[in-house]
Amino acid sequence: MKTKSVSIVVMLAILFTMILSACSGNKSDNGTPTSGGNSGGTSSTSGTSGGDEGSSPLAGKKIEMSILGIGGWLPSSLSVDMSPDFAAYAKEKYGYDVTFTFEEAPFTSLFQKAAASLSTKSQEFNIIISDSQWLGAFAEPGWIVSVNEIMEQEPELKNIEWFDPVVEKAYMTYPDGTDQLWGMPQEGDVMVLYVRKDLLSDPNEQANFKAKYGFDLPQTFEDFEKLTIDKYLKMAEFFTRPEQDLYGAAVQYSKEYDYFTGSLYPFIWSSGGEIWDQNTGDVYGVLNTENNAKALETMVSIKNYMPPGAENYGIAQITEAFTQGKLFSAYQWAAVGGAMVTPELQDKVLIVPIPGYEVNGEIRRITSIGGQPWVINKFNDEDHMRVAIDFLKWWYLPETQIEYAKRGGNPTTKAVLESPDFESIQPWFRAYKYSLTEERSRDFWHHPKYSEMLSVQQEAFTSYATGGEKDPLKTLETVACKQQQILYDAGTAKNAPPAACASVK
Amino acid sequence: MAKRVRQGLYYVLLWLVSIGFFLPVFWIFLAAFKTKDQILAIPPEWFFTPTLENIRNMVIGLNFGKYAMNSVIVSLSAVTIALIVSFFASYSFSRFKPKGTDFLMFLLLSMRMVPGAAVVVPIYLMYTALGWKDTYFGIILFYAMFSIPFSVWILKGFIDGVSLRYDETALVNGGSRFHVMFKVVLPQVKPGLVAAFIFNMIFVWNEFLFNFIIGGKNVTTIPVALASGLYKTHGVDWTFIASLSLVYMLPLILMIYFFQRYLLVGMTFGTVRGEV
Amino acid sequence: MKGLAKSLHDRNLLPYVLLVPVLIFFIVWNVLPLLWMVGLSFYKYDITTGEPLKFLGLTNYKGIFENTGIWQALSKTFWFVIIGVGLETILGMALGFLFWGSAKMPGRRLALTLLFSPMILTPVAAGTFFRLIYDPVFGIANYYLKQWFGITVNFLGDAKWAYPAVLLVDIWMWTPFMILMTLAALGSVPKAELEAAEVDRLPWIKRLWHIVLPHGKFILMLGILLRTIDSFKTMDLVYTMTSGGPGNATELIAISLFRRAFEAFTMGNASALAIITLLIAIAFTSIYLYILNYKERRA
Repeated sequence: MKTKSVSIVVMLAILFTMILSACSGNKSDNGTPTSGGNSGGTSSTSGTSGGDEGSSPLAGKKIEMSILGIGGWLPSSLSVDMSPDFAAYAKEKYGYDVTFTFEEAPFTSLFQKAAASLSTKSQEFNIIISDSQWLGAFAEPGWIVSVNEIMEQEPELKNIEWFDPVVEKAYMTYPDGTDQLWGMPQEGDVMVLYVRKDLLSDPNEQANFKAKYGFDLPQTFEDFEKLTIDKYLKMAEFFTRPEQDLYGAAVQYSKEYDYFTGSLYPFIWSSGGEIWDQNTGDVYGVLNTENNAKALETMVSIKNYMPPGAENYGIAQITEAFTQGKLFSAYQWAAVGGAMVTPELQDKVLIVPIPGYEVNGEIRRITSIGGQPWVINKFNDEDHMRVAIDFLKWWYLPETQIEYAKRGGNPTTKAVLESPDFESIQPWFRAYKYSLTEERSRDFWHHPKYSEMLSVQQEAFTSYATGGEKDPLKTLETVACKQQQILYDAGTAKNAPPAACASVK
Repeated sequence: MAKRVRQGLYYVLLWLVSIGFFLPVFWIFLAAFKTKDQILAIPPEWFFTPTLENIRNMVIGLNFGKYAMNSVIVSLSAVTIALIVSFFASYSFSRFKPKGTDFLMFLLLSMRMVPGAAVVVPIYLMYTALGWKDTYFGIILFYAMFSIPFSVWILKGFIDGVSLRYDETALVNGGSRFHVMFKVVLPQVKPGLVAAFIFNMIFVWNEFLFNFIIGGKNVTTIPVALASGLYKTHGVDWTFIASLSLVYMLPLILMIYFFQRYLLVGMTFGTVRGEV
Repeated sequence: MKGLAKSLHDRNLLPYVLLVPVLIFFIVWNVLPLLWMVGLSFYKYDITTGEPLKFLGLTNYKGIFENTGIWQALSKTFWFVIIGVGLETILGMALGFLFWGSAKMPGRRLALTLLFSPMILTPVAAGTFFRLIYDPVFGIANYYLKQWFGITVNFLGDAKWAYPAVLLVDIWMWTPFMILMTLAALGSVPKAELEAAEVDRLPWIKRLWHIVLPHGKFILMLGILLRTIDSFKTMDLVYTMTSGGPGNATELIAISLFRRAFEAFTMGNASALAIITLLIAIAFTSIYLYILNYKERRA
């Protein structure tokens, strides 16, 4: 008697909760942004669009803006460091007071923090500095404002000329291949090569190297433009001297975040490989090729030229090792140039594009694009929306971008990058500018399932790098199968994983 | 004579064991007073000139006061509320043994067994729906729930150990139930209260996951601040982590030092009322 | 108000009134979320795709059962708990016994405080610093290994070593807890019996078996139970040290759960896994409590 009533109650409870969950799920917005906050924000500014002098509807108000950015990442914090300049500008031009606070989280947890907040429709963060791959994950649930719509209202923003189409592709576009824009570039970034030019220009080293390998050590930026991967590996070998605590090269192998992936992709792309088919959404057959297996093998072979503990190397570890003088060269992001070139290493570092692959007589290199766009929280109220837009307009003014560059950030507008003295502002700007083109750099998928796909391959790749899986092709096949399944389930890929994937679970 | 020597050696051994366990913690403490290069130095530096720079920077830096305040407010409130609620419940379980006592106590304990990442999912969705994310109310009450199972188990054990005669005598003498609970029984279970307090404090004080997911700008506590500030542009921010860990551990260490006797008795779950 | 006051004196109602606060907490923060989770586990709810809920029936559960990664994680967690708690108990009991006779030791309070300090360290800080301690180049562990044994071990980067390495940190952190419990258990042995055993010159083993264990059993088992419960949930510490890697060498079930919920944001899937984990946890607790002979002891 008792158990019967208990089980009835339990079943009713489960039924009830299924209904409850269904209701709560439907409350969230889906897909494209509707009016609401967005049009509310822009309609009130139709009088002042175009940025005319005179007051804005916000004149006399005091507004607090919050930016969520990456912890311990200079380009992110610069946005807030420079905000007093914007405050002065806004006061004069629009007549309101604004202060900025900076919330931060490390790379690995930034998306979680942002998503956890945005899915509650909170205004906790007004502007969010996001990694470029998350645009899809932010746009689909309707958490961020469509940049196309903002640009319709603000011709100033629409007319900004970006340095290269790749800027728009990487930092603004989702879905890949369309003209829908969801973010604007905050920090441009590419993976480049840092080398110790004091070691390169030492006559003894030059002589010994020539004797051993039969070609000269590259000396100038132009020399490095012509450098191929096999020659680079020889250089790495030459400068690997454990007894002197010097090692030839460094890449990132860490499972954390996207460290391994960001370092691997240049090898795949430069050698002619692809990570997926953008049009069909297929991964299987595209990722797991002989070519890519060889690329993976090559990238992992660099371990031989790295200090012990290479398997844990991420951005921070490379910076630490390089600044402690342990590395002859390192693949590293341009964004951390300021930290890599310490006062002690001031004149000893040359920053160049990564080594290329020789394909059909030409040197071809495609490096990873890093950097961050920023996105505007859809749930901002009118005031905060207005300020966010004003802030962005100010951000892309040439004066602001130049100041940003001087402080160590990487600008992305054509006006600034093509200005005469640009390359001399920071030691990495030449390599940065050289690489930031469609032919020479590329981003990963901007898919909402980005995080899941990344996690799958980070696990598989680190397993290969530490000897858990011995065959590179098999590693890629495992990844391809799983990712094909993920994309198929998400409706992006038309094809389900083939029968060969049945053993991969 | 031999006995004294043996005892001396015995004490030395015990101290070695204690120091052995303390060593890694000590290493972190030392790092709080070193410069970054000294922390990373090989061979490791055991002797060096200490600097207060790190602690100064940390205190002046981003919002330290606010996060510390939050940690204190959230932890103290949560554990205190938990103790009060648990005391009521334990008293009832012990004195009246209402139906479902065993079942409820078992359930309370097994709820604690689910990994945080599991519990946080529905809590997060619930808080989102109710608008409790990033509120003191939300996070304090959550941590209170977190602390209740253990407190109930300890307090019940202790209350069981207080003879019913006390209750009956007090009631017969005209005291109210409140009087019995708070003036007669409560003082006798002090060790249990202290043990439950300290034990739960350790968990709530150091808790990271929930504050990260269901907390937010307003209620951020130190562990989350620690994780957020892990990296600086030049690599891992060792000095920050070390100095923050040091400062953050101090209150708990002091608690354990000064209330040790209660802690040891308290952990007997009521089977001992005197010295341990 | 008068009715409330009256009910407080009503012997029949009082027990239940006292339970009201705890029941409120229990229902709102335990039962409701649990039911929500059960409900959600039958749906697909991937927050980042912006799609509405989709009913899936048992698909989530099926997917989990077929996923070898999950079974591996469960297996890894299972061994983590067994070996970890096992060693912590053995070591804890041994050291607890060692400390038993030290009531008069000078500075005993300080020594015990130092002994308990590993438990107090924030897991995130501990994880980060142990990364440094274990580092092959900058870490002191390898420095002394090199000095004394001439070898270098990449603790956290080598798939063979990562698991033992994180297990070791866990053991270091929580053995003091078992020491604490052992001291408490030993303290619960009536002094009278011990003195009688002394007078009778009972051998140590007999003292242990016939006097200490019967009295201290309850507390020790409770300690082991608590420790098992917490060990099963380990996440912060390991995640900070290795992110579950290299490969999936240290991917414990709590980390897998975390990934599903807060990296992939597939809430339906995460809920299903959470329910499965909960059922396993309840099974464990039942077995333990049965062994604990809880009811027997109360009688």
